[in-house]
Amino acid sequence: MENTIAGYFLNFPIFQAIAETLGVGLTAFLIFFAFAGLFTVILATVGGFGTIAERKISADLQARIGPNRVGPYGLFQLIADGIKMISKEDIMPRSADKFLYYLAPFLCIFGVLCTVAVMPFSKNLILSDLNVGVFYAIAISSLVGVGIFLGGYASNSKWSLLGGMRGASQIISYEIPVTLTIMMIVVIAGGLSFNTLVEAQAGMPWNWYIFHNPFTFIGFFVFFISTLAETNRAPFDLPEAESELVSGYHTEYTGIRFGLFALAEYIEIFVVSAVSVSLFLGGYQLPFNILEGTLPNELLQFGSLFLKTCALYYVVIWVRWTFPRLRVDQLMSICWKYLTPIAIFNLVGTAIWVVAFDGQSMFQLFFGSGAH
Amino acid sequence: MFINILFFSASALVIASCALMMWTKNLMHSCVYLLGVLIGVAGLYLTLGADFVAATQIMVYVGGVVILMLFAVMLTGGKDFQSKTQQLLNLLPSMGNKYTFMWGGGVGLVFAGCLTYFFMHLFKVIKVQEIDNNSYSPTIEKLGELLVTDHLVAFELSSVLLLGALVGAAIIARPRKERPAYIDDIEHDHHHDEEHH
Amino acid sequence: MSNQTLNVFMPVAIMMVIAALLFGGALLAAYLLSPSKPGGNKDLPYECGEEPVGSAWSMFNVRFYVVGLIFIIFDVESVLMFPVAAIFKKMNELGNGTYILIIFLSFISVLLEGIAYCWKKGDLDWVKSFSRTTKTK
Repeated sequence: MENTIAGYFLNFPIFQAIAETLGVGLTAFLIFFAFAGLFTVILATVGGFGTIAERKISADLQARIGPNRVGPYGLFQLIADGIKMISKEDIMPRSADKFLYYLAPFLCIFGVLCTVAVMPFSKNLILSDLNVGVFYAIAISSLVGVGIFLGGYASNSKWSLLGGMRGASQIISYEIPVTLTIMMIVVIAGGLSFNTLVEAQAGMPWNWYIFHNPFTFIGFFVFFISTLAETNRAPFDLPEAESELVSGYHTEYTGIRFGLFALAEYIEIFVVSAVSVSLFLGGYQLPFNILEGTLPNELLQFGSLFLKTCALYYVVIWVRWTFPRLRVDQLMSICWKYLTPIAIFNLVGTAIWVVAFDGQSMFQLFFGSGAH
Repeated sequence: MFINILFFSASALVIASCALMMWTKNLMHSCVYLLGVLIGVAGLYLTLGADFVAATQIMVYVGGVVILMLFAVMLTGGKDFQSKTQQLLNLLPSMGNKYTFMWGGGVGLVFAGCLTYFFMHLFKVIKVQEIDNNSYSPTIEKLGELLVTDHLVAFELSSVLLLGALVGAAIIARPRKERPAYIDDIEHDHHHDEEHH
Repeated sequence: MSNQTLNVFMPVAIMMVIAALLFGGALLAAYLLSPSKPGGNKDLPYECGEEPVGSAWSMFNVRFYVVGLIFIIFDVESVLMFPVAAIFKKMNELGNGTYILIIFLSFISVLLEGIAYCWKKGDLDWVKSFSRTTKTK
């Protein structure tokens, strides 16, 4: 309870007053419900802005202007898109598998949003600091793979089926380097809960885990590449390769169901970037620690996480418009012959480093233990 | 309160998906209902405070085994094998005739009787405890400590077991050593064409 | 908080409910606002303008299945390694660093053996060349 939103807000007098009338349990439930809803709305908005960012940044990279009609700099494009998605007809192919066709977008959006329950937006703005936090996040997000496969299968279209099969096999393959890289961080941090992982990275950037030792530095890039593949982003966007598979697993989806698939994808990129930031780039930590425990400090920490995540988001989009798509056999050989062995090497190296140097980072070794 | 809600919803999910899984004749739907069963079982683990086991259940079964089963169904083409005429026993999702159903029903009754007999005993001995006050304690550290102390041999041997499974899977799934006939044909034709030129 | 009636899993369950609500709300909004005129050629699967021939549900390549099999083995290995990784730091601080390092490395070495075997035998190749397998024979 202590390290959750409800535990934090129940310390405020106003919520204590509410708790006296409603009871602690119900108040905490209401706080959880309100913040879960708030995070969902924030993430849906971020996902919507992701589509604009994608178009704006791609336009920028190709010396075009991009969407600029709806609102200033085309910022309200997301509202226009949302209205369009909702008001378009929802067509299902005649020969489709109805039940699975309806279920697939749900699994995608469900798997993505459930990871948010353990995301540390700041020290106290975390819905639940589960003891198996990061492990739970990997586990529940594997539902997205099932959703993509079922979306491809249920449409009964050849393009969709190929996309779905590719998507599922790609997602499960790249889960191996991701898991091994996370294990490397777990070895250093000594725990799986997100707060344990982030807390040791407090202070200046050289305390971030990416600079902990040479292996974590390589590990960050392994993790980043694997997460690109996990979220079906270019250059790993084979499941929805528009030049060969029309639109991949969501070819037959129209209207709001297509919108939900797209929303799930953009939210997933944001969530996965936030996980990368939490694991390697210091998470919500600030270089200074004034106003400890107050609400402005929490908001500053949230801003810190948000900025770093957006920077990573920019890199994800940048990569998409820079690199050509891989072939299927290249995709598989990159995963099994490059990333997985490198991830195992990193894991072994980090384990040896932790034992040999007593868990100290490179900076502490070079400049003495006064760095903290 | 929350634990009770979790328990009842998870068990309802398990029972409903299990029944649907056995009832449906579509293999794909069956796999998806199995997904519901596995998630429900993870929820049941959570009611016991076993967070790591629940997450493992979701990670290995939902993320791995169900996708593997979906791929396996795709090996058969994943079509709907529903029979066109559905009357009486054909409605039931199993192979067999009157006699198999009779035997199956009899054996099922015997098993149900045995289980009831054992569980009656348990219900008498164990009092219903106040599960709301079930304080939650981290399990993963305990698991790790046990794995590297008391169950060290089992832990290390399990890696050898998994190595065996990996090698076995690789050997079974490997294509046959002989070259398929059509490759010889293609090369032969190619050769022939070159000679012709 | 002395009150234990609140479980740490509650926010996770709430998040699941919210995800379902978001999905249901979006579908409801679309149901209310969008037209629904089924029928005609728009109900056919898209095949670039051609009439689709047959069903898409045909037998699929076994390669996907092999990838799934190898994945499950690695998945189970990583699940077994996570508890040990979680107590790695604590054991190291207690002075048992070398002990747990040996345990950890011996477990990983068996994993490496498996991946080396699959690599050597060409099971990690997506496109298996038949000529290569005949050579090994």
